[in-house]
Amino acid sequence: MHTLSIIAFCWFAAQSIAGVVDGVAVAQLGMPIIATAVSIVVRALTQALLDALAVQGAARVKSQLRARVIAAVDAGGSALLGSTSSARVATLLGQGLDAMDGYIGRYLPQLILTAVATPIVVGVLLFADLATGITVILTLPLIPVFMVLIGLSTRAVQRQQWQLLGSLAQGFLEVVQGLSTLMVFGRQHRQIDRIAAVTEEYRRRTMRVLRLSFLSGFALELAASLSVALVAVSIGIRLIDGEIALALGLFVLVLVPEAYLPLRQVGAQFHAASEGIAAGQDALDLLDTAPASAPAAEADSGATRAESVALIAGASSQSIGPVSGQPTGLAAIQDRSRPVVHASASTAPRPTVGVIPALAVHDLTVRRGDRIVVDGLSGAWMPGTVLAVTGPSGAGKSSLLGALLGLVEHDGVVELSGSPVPPAARAARIAWAGQRPELTGGPLDEVVALGSVAPDPERVTTSLRWAGVDDVPRGTVLGAAGDGLSGGQAQRVALARAHYRAISRDCRIVLVDEPTSALDAASEQRVIAGLRELADGGRLIIVVTHRRAVMASADAVLVVSGTASSLAEGGPVAAVALTTPKVAR
Amino acid sequence: MSGTLTPAAAREARRAVLRASLPPLRAFAPALALGVLASGSAVALLATSAWLIARSAEQPPILFLGFAIVGVRAFALGRAVFRYLERLVAHDAAFRALSTLRVSVFRRLLPVAPDGLRGVRRGDLLTALVRDVDALQDLPLRVLQPLVTAFIVAMLSVVGVWWVSPAAGLALLVGLLATCAVAVAVLQGVSRDADLRIAPLRALLADAVLEYLTRWETLRAFGADEQRRAHVVELDAQLRRAQSRQSAAAGSVAALFTLGAGATLLVTLLATEPALVAVALTGPQLVMLVLVPLAVLEVVAAVPSALSAWWRVRASADRIAQVVPDTVPAAVPVPPADPAALPTGALTLSLRGVAARWPGEARHAITGVDLELGPGDRLVVEGSSGAGKTTLAHVLVRFLEHEGEYLLGGVDVHTLHPDEVRRNVVLCEQSPHLFDDSIRQNLLFAHDTATDDDLLSVLDRVGLGEWCRARGGLDAPVGERGRLVSGGEAQRIALARALLTDAPVLVLDEPTANVDPDRAESLLEQLLGAATSPDRAVLVISHTPVPDRLVTARLHLRAPE
Repeated sequence: MHTLSIIAFCWFAAQSIAGVVDGVAVAQLGMPIIATAVSIVVRALTQALLDALAVQGAARVKSQLRARVIAAVDAGGSALLGSTSSARVATLLGQGLDAMDGYIGRYLPQLILTAVATPIVVGVLLFADLATGITVILTLPLIPVFMVLIGLSTRAVQRQQWQLLGSLAQGFLEVVQGLSTLMVFGRQHRQIDRIAAVTEEYRRRTMRVLRLSFLSGFALELAASLSVALVAVSIGIRLIDGEIALALGLFVLVLVPEAYLPLRQVGAQFHAASEGIAAGQDALDLLDTAPASAPAAEADSGATRAESVALIAGASSQSIGPVSGQPTGLAAIQDRSRPVVHASASTAPRPTVGVIPALAVHDLTVRRGDRIVVDGLSGAWMPGTVLAVTGPSGAGKSSLLGALLGLVEHDGVVELSGSPVPPAARAARIAWAGQRPELTGGPLDEVVALGSVAPDPERVTTSLRWAGVDDVPRGTVLGAAGDGLSGGQAQRVALARAHYRAISRDCRIVLVDEPTSALDAASEQRVIAGLRELADGGRLIIVVTHRRAVMASADAVLVVSGTASSLAEGGPVAAVALTTPKVAR
Repeated sequence: MSGTLTPAAAREARRAVLRASLPPLRAFAPALALGVLASGSAVALLATSAWLIARSAEQPPILFLGFAIVGVRAFALGRAVFRYLERLVAHDAAFRALSTLRVSVFRRLLPVAPDGLRGVRRGDLLTALVRDVDALQDLPLRVLQPLVTAFIVAMLSVVGVWWVSPAAGLALLVGLLATCAVAVAVLQGVSRDADLRIAPLRALLADAVLEYLTRWETLRAFGADEQRRAHVVELDAQLRRAQSRQSAAAGSVAALFTLGAGATLLVTLLATEPALVAVALTGPQLVMLVLVPLAVLEVVAAVPSALSAWWRVRASADRIAQVVPDTVPAAVPVPPADPAALPTGALTLSLRGVAARWPGEARHAITGVDLELGPGDRLVVEGSSGAGKTTLAHVLVRFLEHEGEYLLGGVDVHTLHPDEVRRNVVLCEQSPHLFDDSIRQNLLFAHDTATDDDLLSVLDRVGLGEWCRARGGLDAPVGERGRLVSGGEAQRIALARALLTDAPVLVLDEPTANVDPDRAESLLEQLLGAATSPDRAVLVISHTPVPDRLVTARLHLRAPE
């Protein structure tokens, strides 16, 4: 439609002009002039539509990909997410997918438009004037050929330079980020020269790359404008000989640039496109490595999937230049080097006749990848107990809590208050504070009342007081991922959050992982007293800790030992000898 | 709040930032000239080819056309060559301007850094600042260059056309002005709003996704995952709507230019027809006049994208002006006019009733701090989070101004240059910055005359000798922002750096903050062991308990009421 309107515009405009030149009165030219006006409007409208649709399409594909990766993460669970990889996934879903704008929003539509429009325009040219059509057919392929040749010769140079350019571009960022460190050592002043030098070097190297990169644009422009010149001169000469009419000549002259335009724009979009292809490839790789345990997510969006793959495959086969899809995937994430650890549990639950254990586990085994981190743990613990779990780093303490909570896959049976509960239903009955605070963003009340629909301000007050959060103003709004609090503050807010859940949902079991690692001794005592208070309310408290004070206050201590290697920090981890349960008060 | 400026001051501050990011006219003039030549050639190419064809139709002897034929070929070549040169020269000038710009922002940064930067306690502020500085290079390249080129070429075309036929000139001028005016109005009305909304929405969505992914376990455990996923989907939909709006605006603007070109063509045709009839104009001239608007409007079509680039650049300039104040806040030390010098060797540090606050905050972060620190002393500063421990460290190294008395070697620090104080009181920061370079460079910048043996021996002292050898020696990289080293290793490198300076006073700010809790104590023990010397005073800030045997004195900080 768009192409046809362009052709129509050129045709009628040429007719009108030639008519006027030939001395026909304007009044008699009504038809061509009106037709010109109509084709102008149609052309403008179709152009606007094309642009809008392309970008909307891009946004839609991005949304779908984003939703699908998130669905894959949901299905794959924590096995898919390592703490290092989640940042990468997030970057991919944010800036990574935005890079696809250029690819899906501009490059692909342009490619399709080129595939449709160019043959039509060329066909019309052939029909209108055979010589011009042949000229265009001969010169048109020169453009991709030029581009491939230039692309090949620049690629090597660009690859070489890329790394270096990246680090030079980072230079200024480094200096600014490290400014306080530089000031500590009195080195800030000489950075002025360094910034100038690094930027100058950056300019020199970038220009070297650009000189080559711009060559492809030069070739495009040259091919297009020389062809116009060629056509114009040849038409001119044939006009002199009276071989063709003026109207036809003008028509061809105005139409010729339109034959080159789409292809030129493909070239112009190409750089943005290759970046987008890499991002799209990354997202698809991520989906590929998502575990097979996500059949539901796979099924409902299978169609989109095939579509995206086809889009990318389609682009690769165009072979206009380098298509770089980095083979990334999640191999690195799954290959986590967790030490193999056996849980040697030796805790005797207090035999209290007539009371049902708050928690009982039978033969609990937890695997991380191929490794067994908790091996056949059995035991039962009464309400009102504080159980400390300790052991070296990486021994599987947090995995144990994750399994109890139902977030980590495991074998064995877990009973809550006397009846077995499947993993998925457990989290609703257990309050938990993980090793890292993992706060969410938003108003403090909502952060503390995470998971409840309407926060109860009084309960939030109680929980904040319980956790000793007296230095965070109530109206504070936390940034994304809980930004804006110090480590100690975040830890206490996370404890308040667990408390809020324990109280508001009346959870019989409270799991806390290293609750005092960032706290000073006074705050630690406060937390210990708080845990005891919760236990006295008829709950089982399981607290993972390294702190002696916390262990000393517990009713029982579970030592998880393993072959944990202490890597970087040197020195063996202090062995804890509190294997016998302390007699409760 | 000091974070807000009056509108007039904000405009002035923005103008100052923008001025700094412009290359000198001398450097940029060639790019502009080439740009005009390139776009001018495009217009001339169409004009001469149109004239050529129309004239040919009158079947004159081919000799009369020689000039036009040569012109067509020359303009065709010229367009491509000039365009290529223009892009090269313009980029070159913009990169040169970037260097000046970075230096000027950095100079502006120095007197107020680190604590006088507005909102500097927000983590990623500096990254954003650098991104904004780099965004300013768009000002010459994507704003001025297209605008100036389009303006000059358009005006030249109007003048040229006017000279041949005033009626056609008027038509072209009106067509240009009308098209640009409507396009700018559409952009202002629709796209600018969406433009401004898209960036924050994008950031919100990125935050929400990051939060969802990094907090996945927590959200599951608290049964809040569905709600958060719905939030992500909602933000995604909002962003998509804003993008559609923007793209619709961009599409209609592009369409407008097509429309404008066509309309101008028609109007010119109708306007010049009487002149042709009156034989004031030849046929070939008419054809030329009628087709020129097509080429001119194509050149001018660069104006909308230049405008949105301008809005982006202006927002960046505003943020820079906002973050980096051009006057030093009262809470940041200023070097004295005639700084005194300190003797070399051991020093005693003493504070009497010292109070301090952060820039822009009314409340003191510490008040009434007294301490005495002599050679051989090891003082631990304790206190809960928010008690002002880091504030104290920043006062000691003169990042922050203080009230009360602070003597170093018996000299009031106000009479000393802050750099001189920092030569003697070295801070090991809570999160020391490691540069993306080798281990050697990360140590050398503290003391650049140190030999490799010095470096290796200091690494041995802080317990990194083995670690360094295992990685292949001093040339091993530490990775971007120290990615390849753990929290404990980073602290050790920072201490090694500090030890290399041989400063008489050492301040360790929370050395165990980024270390596994079960390794904190052994790290603290090793660090203090390495730092201890009879000539050196050490002050360590810690929230984890420090055993008595490691220190000689304790100071407990409490947040001021």
